[in-house]
Amino acid sequence: MRSLRKALSHAWMRWLLNALIGALVLFGTLTLLIALTGQPIGASYRILLQGAIGFPPGEQLTPLDAWDGVLHDMTLLLLTGLSVGLALQAGLFNIGASGQLLMGALVAAYLGVQQGIPAGLHLPLALLGGALAGALWAFIPALLKVWRGAHEVITTIMFNYIALYFTHWLVVEYLKDPAGAAPQTAPVLSGAQLPPLGSFIATSWGIVLAMGLALLLWATLYRTVWGYELRATGANRDAAEAAGIPTRRRMVEAMLLAGAFAGLAGAVEVCGVQYRFFEGFPSEYGFDGIAVALMGANHPGWTVLTAYALGALRNGAYNLHVVTGAPKEIAMIVQAALILYVAALRLRRGRLEG
Amino acid sequence: MGEVFDSQLINTALRQATPLILAALGGLLSERTGVINIGLEGKILMGAFAGAYGALLTGSPWFGLGCAMWVGLLVALLHAIATQEFRTDHVVSGVAINLLALGLSTYLFRQLILPREERGLSSVVRGFEPLQAGWLVHVPVLGALVKDQTWLTLFAVLLPFILFWLLNHTRWGLRVDAVGNDAMKARTMGVPVKRVRYLGVLLSGVLAGMAGAFLTLASADQFRENMSAGRGFIALAALIFGRWHPLGAAGAAFGFGFFEALQMRLQGQPLFGLQLPTDLLLMLPYLLTVIALAGSFGRMKPPADLGN
Repeated sequence: MRSLRKALSHAWMRWLLNALIGALVLFGTLTLLIALTGQPIGASYRILLQGAIGFPPGEQLTPLDAWDGVLHDMTLLLLTGLSVGLALQAGLFNIGASGQLLMGALVAAYLGVQQGIPAGLHLPLALLGGALAGALWAFIPALLKVWRGAHEVITTIMFNYIALYFTHWLVVEYLKDPAGAAPQTAPVLSGAQLPPLGSFIATSWGIVLAMGLALLLWATLYRTVWGYELRATGANRDAAEAAGIPTRRRMVEAMLLAGAFAGLAGAVEVCGVQYRFFEGFPSEYGFDGIAVALMGANHPGWTVLTAYALGALRNGAYNLHVVTGAPKEIAMIVQAALILYVAALRLRRGRLEG
Repeated sequence: MGEVFDSQLINTALRQATPLILAALGGLLSERTGVINIGLEGKILMGAFAGAYGALLTGSPWFGLGCAMWVGLLVALLHAIATQEFRTDHVVSGVAINLLALGLSTYLFRQLILPREERGLSSVVRGFEPLQAGWLVHVPVLGALVKDQTWLTLFAVLLPFILFWLLNHTRWGLRVDAVGNDAMKARTMGVPVKRVRYLGVLLSGVLAGMAGAFLTLASADQFRENMSAGRGFIALAALIFGRWHPLGAAGAAFGFGFFEALQMRLQGQPLFGLQLPTDLLLMLPYLLTVIALAGSFGRMKPPADLGN
């Protein structure tokens, strides 16, 4: 008994145990939800896997289609996950990624339809504009936080709703495609479109961009003084302040960058997938980014993995929905259970940040 | 122009404000004990579903209301256990609960209510009847206000005063503030911190569940996907705007309900010769809350120990 406890106290042993319980939470919830729909469990898992990893091959869905769906979701989840994770590294909770994503998407769509921009510049301009819009949308809550002590959780939630109505207002009143009645912008010009990875798959270069940015963010956070100062601010603001780190500055900078990542997610979705902004633009990826970041321990490397995993889960559940009619919300419930588990686990050891 | 502002508008505002007041006061009971409550939205949504399904099964709105309050309590229990036993970050737990509630209520809706519709059964529930106001309807202004209201609205109007009294004149009220402002000190003074917090969080679930039941049993008469539509966050805004004070929170909630009623009334009509876009009116509660948080006016003072 004693030796067992000793073995369990090893760091890697504990890690393994936690991972095992996590898998139990994942598959337990999943199995329960499938069982409650009355579908056979084995067959359901096969359909789920077809959507998630493209294997075993299904009749309705080719492996490439499955991968396309997963990579599309992974792109957005990675960018919003990096956004939330980066802010958390500085000790700030960015619940506003979905509002920042909307602003980024709208600005990218606006820039994408402008005529007369040189061919090579149009796409970078649209993407940068989107990132900038997201950064601006995060800037105000950041300023209110360091100047007035207004809690960023509340202000970013409020800014999500403000963005929702603001973008809706603009797309209905001012930016609507005059060619149709639908509340949507005109399609972005071909010069502002993110091309697909190849003729064989519809996934855009957005995934490569997102992965490259994850690498860049890792290097900045863990290999530069600025990154060290940012993480120190999040780990213990008072200690960082005492060590002479301009903590307010770092917090505002972290939030700006976080907003830029979320805004870029919206821009990539516009330039690479939807080609326009429309009423009801999918912004829930901003909330999913919270799960991605928490499970990825706010580390860019792990965030790539969790973005892939949650993208696969979403697409698996979606395929199950398409094939058997099971509610596609299964993925959402599993994700909520995972957040609760990871949060309960990590906060017992220390703080949220880091 | 004179058609826009009349007592009917206030009547609608009261109805729109009812779930906001109930949820905001629920949030108040939780946050005054120091537990951040981002999960109001999810509790309202689960309450709305439970209220509709309970009433659908039995034909009784009272049974539906009971279900909604129980489900609200259970969801709140999850939040209480996560934050008090596992010391989970309050915001993370709240975010997870909102996600869980959105997923679960839609999942259950598709599993339990939609199949009934496919079999040709109605999913419209028998909600609460409007109050019989009797001679009151003949009183000039008051009559127009109470017209067609259910007792839930009446309860929501009275509750802030009841809570105000309870928080200021009972031992429980003193304990709530002691725990919310300095849990450590309260503990050394012999206050059962955990019990006070559990009670606050669970009551917030009951009230938010009630707010959800209002949506399905006194407003829409059926459940629809994500029908809480951000009301939990408006309630949260009202709570902050009202500075964590029962009368302030309820007043702010009524004000936000008024904006909703005004928006429904205007529907693109000009106000004072000005064409106010619907979206801007809907945005107003959120914008005002940010301004209130930012401005020095009112010095927002949350319970000192919030989130610990």
